Amino acid sequence: MALAARESLAASGLDRAAFEEFLIHEACLLDERRFRDWMELFADDGTYWVPATPDQKSPFEEASLFYDDRELMKTRIERLEHPRIHVQTPPSRTAHIVGNLVIEETDLAKGEYVVGSTFIMAEYRDDAQRLFAGRQRHRLRRYGDTFRIVQKRVDLINCDGAFEAMAVPI
Amino acid sequence: MRNGHADEIGKLVEPGRVHRRVYTDPELFELEMERIFGRAWLYVGHGSQVPQPGDYITTDLGRQPVIMVRHRDGSIKVLLNRCTHRGAKVVNERKGHAQRLTCCYHGWSFDTDGKLATVPVPEGCGEGFDKDALGLARAPRVGEYRGFVFASLAVKGPSFEDHIGPMQGNIDDLVDRAPDGELALDAGMHRYVYNGNWKLQVENVLDSYHVPFGHASTVNKQGVQFARREGDQKGAIVVEAEKKQTAASWKDRKSFTVGNGHGWTSNTTLDDGKRSSPAFDEYKRALADKVGAERAAEILTPRLHNSLIYPNMSIMGLNIHVRVIKPIAVDRTEVNIFPVRLVGAPAAMNFGNIRLLNVTHSAASFVQTDDLESFVRAQKGLQSRLTDWVDISRGLGAEEPDRATNATRGLATHEMVVRAQYKAWVGYMGEAA
Repeated sequence: MALAARESLAASGLDRAAFEEFLIHEACLLDERRFRDWMELFADDGTYWVPATPDQKSPFEEASLFYDDRELMKTRIERLEHPRIHVQTPPSRTAHIVGNLVIEETDLAKGEYVVGSTFIMAEYRDDAQRLFAGRQRHRLRRYGDTFRIVQKRVDLINCDGAFEAMAVPI
Repeated sequence: MRNGHADEIGKLVEPGRVHRRVYTDPELFELEMERIFGRAWLYVGHGSQVPQPGDYITTDLGRQPVIMVRHRDGSIKVLLNRCTHRGAKVVNERKGHAQRLTCCYHGWSFDTDGKLATVPVPEGCGEGFDKDALGLARAPRVGEYRGFVFASLAVKGPSFEDHIGPMQGNIDDLVDRAPDGELALDAGMHRYVYNGNWKLQVENVLDSYHVPFGHASTVNKQGVQFARREGDQKGAIVVEAEKKQTAASWKDRKSFTVGNGHGWTSNTTLDDGKRSSPAFDEYKRALADKVGAERAAEILTPRLHNSLIYPNMSIMGLNIHVRVIKPIAVDRTEVNIFPVRLVGAPAAMNFGNIRLLNVTHSAASFVQTDDLESFVRAQKGLQSRLTDWVDISRGLGAEEPDRATNATRGLATHEMVVRAQYKAWVGYMGEAA
């Protein structure tokens, strides 16, 4: 992290641990299948984006694995709660690990921060285990004594690969 | 299935049922690769994926790797992606641009029409070395309709016109929605795989029977599915909530067959009178400006849900896309789904289509994932040796001619379309190549 960015972060009264705690909390909500609580971490204008190509420029001009605003997120979560979601019978169990945090941007005027991190998610379901891994970037907005997610972008290392059904967010 | 005699193949398909071996027998799969994917007209790609000379995409026809490339003269070539020297796959990227296609192994270099252009260390070639005979193999027959490129790997067989003719109207239905009368498949792709036979996906695209059950998780307590099109205020009524049964409007939907295994289902009933959003309204105006209000209204009146161009491609009229089915093994299949950009439509409308396709048909979508689960479970269940037959008898004998479309009509919750696919299947499979 560049010194200027470090100074700017210090001026905000935040430290790296605040961001790390938030990301760990977010990952735990997903692993505990508390999808509604997870959705509530997003700002009203928040989006969750998993591109389908490396370095994808825009969710508007190309297919994405996920590109949910709050409304689509709600539909997704209602479905995850539905008793007859076959692709979650039995449900997935996941374990995330998040690390290599870098605070990439700080915008004190807007109270917004961009945090990059590397993640691995193992998923087990119906006798099969698989791994997802990549770099994620959270744009966070200060919200009281915590944050809300303005955008979570997940760049899977195999984003342009062919996937078996993916039912839960990464 | 040692020799694939016609009578042996015929025993696997009866009027209302098929033998489970058509999904599980590796020898039958080998025969399918030879007799169906080795000679049928297969969808390869769309011209908009290779707009400039030298632009290419790579894909597979059955299990054969191919390159679809635009040559200098503007024509599209479908070349086998296999170096004529020692057999390496020449082009490894999924798409790109090149003046010459050069093999990584010894550097043999081919022109975009497949001709062998240069060979390193040419003085090592023997006297009989015939460069002209060593070009990349070309698909013997290539046909194109409104940008959609098909190829047959057989020299002989039904003509492209005979194969595609009955489905041209279904392609028109999609292309005409573009104000400029042109599509662009340049908005990426969705790729999913499943541990199941390729025909499970083919059968599913025209299956309206499964929706209230297979996709129960996409239907709310009022029996209404989520809104799936730009401008829709809500989705289709799938279930009559009070009675907990399939809605009458859903049961009334029709399916159609036209031979060659092709077919389609009629549109999903939606409240089109209320369809409105800034993007959709702007699109409607753009279309009317180009084709006139009357024709625009006709184009925007939904007619088709899914259309199947047997054996490897379908077009969807609701969440518009082109789908390509790629068999990998008897119990493994990849499917590619291409969003369609309507050329001349406002960017916001195309974005609306792309955005909603993410939630209906990506590998992480609300709709496709439950289908994938059904395919996987079918493949598992079909291992049962005590129940050899798969029932496809719904609506058997209830088919009737549809004079308006010159097709055979049935109810979309019936299985007429599946029977028609197996009729084509027996036709291909029963005949030695």
